[in-house]
Amino acid sequence: MTPLLDIAGLTLDYRTRSGTVRVLDNVSLSVAPGEVLGIVGESGAGKSSLAMAIMGRLAGNARLTGGTIRLGTDDLAAQTARAMRRIRGRRIGMVFQNPATSLNPTLTLGRQIVEVLVRHRGLTAGAAWREAASWLERVELRHAAELMRRYPHEASGGEKQRVAIASAFAPQPELVLFDEPTTALDVITGARVLDLFRRLRAETGVAGLYISHDLGLVARVADRVAVMQRGRIIESELPRRIFAMPAQDYTRRLVDAVPRPQNRLVQDEPASAELLCAEAISVSYGRRRLFRSRSAKGISGLGFSIREGEILGVVGESGSGKSTLARALAGLVARSGEIRLEGVPVTRMGRDYRRAVQIVFQHPDSSLNPRQRVCDLLARPLCLYGGSTGDIPDLLRQVNLPPEYASRWPHQLSGGEKQRVAIARAFAARPRLVICDEITASLDASVQAVTIALLLELRRRYGTAYLFITHDLNLVRQIAHRLLVMRHGTLVDQIAIGTLGTGREHEYTRQLMAASPTPVGEETRT
Amino acid sequence: MSPAWLLRRLLLMAYTLLVVSILVFAITQILPADAAVTMLGQDATPAALAALRAKLGLADPVWLQFWHWFSAVLRGDFGISMRTGLPVGPTMLTALSRSLLLAVCSLSLMLVIAIPLGVLAALRQGRALDLAVGLISYLGISLPEFVTATLVLVVLADRLQWLPATGYVPPSEHLLDGIRHLVAPVLTVSLVLIAHVSRMMRSETIDVLASDYVLAADLKGLAPPTVLLRHVMRNALLPVISVVALDVGYLLGGIIVVEEIFAIPGIGRALLVAIQNRDLPAIQAGALIMAATYAVVNLLADIAYAVLDPRLRYG
Repeated sequence: MTPLLDIAGLTLDYRTRSGTVRVLDNVSLSVAPGEVLGIVGESGAGKSSLAMAIMGRLAGNARLTGGTIRLGTDDLAAQTARAMRRIRGRRIGMVFQNPATSLNPTLTLGRQIVEVLVRHRGLTAGAAWREAASWLERVELRHAAELMRRYPHEASGGEKQRVAIASAFAPQPELVLFDEPTTALDVITGARVLDLFRRLRAETGVAGLYISHDLGLVARVADRVAVMQRGRIIESELPRRIFAMPAQDYTRRLVDAVPRPQNRLVQDEPASAELLCAEAISVSYGRRRLFRSRSAKGISGLGFSIREGEILGVVGESGSGKSTLARALAGLVARSGEIRLEGVPVTRMGRDYRRAVQIVFQHPDSSLNPRQRVCDLLARPLCLYGGSTGDIPDLLRQVNLPPEYASRWPHQLSGGEKQRVAIARAFAARPRLVICDEITASLDASVQAVTIALLLELRRRYGTAYLFITHDLNLVRQIAHRLLVMRHGTLVDQIAIGTLGTGREHEYTRQLMAASPTPVGEETRT
Repeated sequence: MSPAWLLRRLLLMAYTLLVVSILVFAITQILPADAAVTMLGQDATPAALAALRAKLGLADPVWLQFWHWFSAVLRGDFGISMRTGLPVGPTMLTALSRSLLLAVCSLSLMLVIAIPLGVLAALRQGRALDLAVGLISYLGISLPEFVTATLVLVVLADRLQWLPATGYVPPSEHLLDGIRHLVAPVLTVSLVLIAHVSRMMRSETIDVLASDYVLAADLKGLAPPTVLLRHVMRNALLPVISVVALDVGYLLGGIIVVEEIFAIPGIGRALLVAIQNRDLPAIQAGALIMAATYAVVNLLADIAYAVLDPRLRYG
């Protein structure tokens, strides 16, 4: 069969001030009609540049220095800008990573589908509106007519991504590019969006290019998986084969970095001594205003305890109150309820408490002051809690960073290195409990594995307990002793990792597990 | 935008104006001017002064004086001018109408020029047109309006002899002549605003152009004018609205200078004359009317913002 999309020898350079950077190096791939090709690679591998090259929307400093991109019989690289605008959207649709930013905040959801139908299918406004509403039903959105008139901020993340999918599929394209379409969604929502994609694919026979950093995920949706590294496609295989016998070392590392719940990284049991106990913790946001009652978001009535050296996982979908819990425990938001540290009630978030309970945030980019060098970032907590600046090299070594990094600025570090500095900053206080709030969510899979190994190493050395907040159930099942499951600001389940899958878990916990598949070909009994 | 929000906003405005009226009254109390002396002159007999003070209620406690004045203001009575002996209210409102004409013309001219200019500069970012617009903007922002006014006068009135130099003719009496007299002051006022707003529009447009939803709109294959008008400008205009509302504050101040230079009998000039003559009722009325204008404009800007940005349709 002739391929629908055929890319041969594609080479792309970016001209920068410090010289030419090659982002795509002799890339060749093909997608047959109705086929879905997965493209896996870590950040900087060139995945997004490849998508933009296909769409003909490259940055001003990009130069295509060789190769062809064929869609059917048309050479996309040779099209005029005007002709390309008739191909984009019409023949190639695209779904983006974050529906919160890829939809226009000032237009109704309906209009954002209607405009595509008017442009590409020449429908009148009224016909386009009816067609768009029927598409919202096809992407399994209830109350389609009402949703059409809503604005993006009035819809949930999952609803928005379905609207984005509807606007990509509505002009009936031959090919749809997916750029990490579930990364910004929580596990259950993401899993349902994937189900929708599979169904639409079966109904429409559309071909797809599915780009992601998540090998486990891509392997589930794609017919073939291409692995990208530094602008090259180093391996292209059937999903099962990729996991069973990766040909390249790099692929093997990616395969190994996929979290598997049966592969426990923590063997020991924590001591029996209770470190921290929380009772009836509640936080409410929003202030009382004239004419309006206080809004009831936040968390309510949470009670749990953490033992010395225990790793307590916290999972739940976005908006379930995980981060609010972290902030309440760290003393960053006002809360009600009682916290006891080693049996002593904490009435005031004093220095002793703050020393014992430290927090590491999700985004090191915003949690590290960009105008302070690494040494200044670490000196502050060190000096506050009885250390000295002389301890900085040692502290850096403990998080596997060379001592020379002390003089660097945050922007000179990679994402993983920044997060290690943030971890070092937390450990500068010699804490008893470290709250990890989605600390690996913005990292590549291989960097995540290294960061987790570091946390476990520090725990072995200091006996630190962790409150490990994540949306990745498979990851937390590798390391946690017990699990808190949150939903709508309350605790729905509190369960030991070993009893997961024995039927004693809450219904919602079971749903979360079902939405977190393990790698293809390695399905476990749970 | 709910009725409750609008009501809240109106209450807030009323509260602001109450505070302003207290301040305005307090300041005129502090001024070293004895109303009776001002009215009767330095040579008045002590008996005449005492009689007038009693008549004006100057012996009453301050809060009672405030109440007399404030309750009259609420009825629309701003008192009698000490200088002319005429009611202050109608005089000030006539002056305000002339200033508003100048302000509305300047704002409209500014919007028509500054917004396309800003968008154009953003689209040609870093190229000659952008640099030229930037240079002119900085000049416009940094030149005080008396310099701009002088330049406008030298070129248009003196060298080219196109326009009358100063003066005011009501457009309602003689349309063409009225407009000819407005051109120079409108140009002067709008130049500064154009500079300011076009810079703002440029940077907002650049931000929006870099957003995901504009990329998404482009990758949907929409026609470039659709992307620009529907996706870029709608969002880029939002922050500009609040800047324009703030600029009205500048306009109220800047207009005093411009009215003085071009001899336009507007509210700014009336206030200036009132201050020079220690005409207390006129000062109070002028200050309060200007504050009220500012408050109303800001309310209008808030409403415009709420209409354009669905996220701000307050519950």
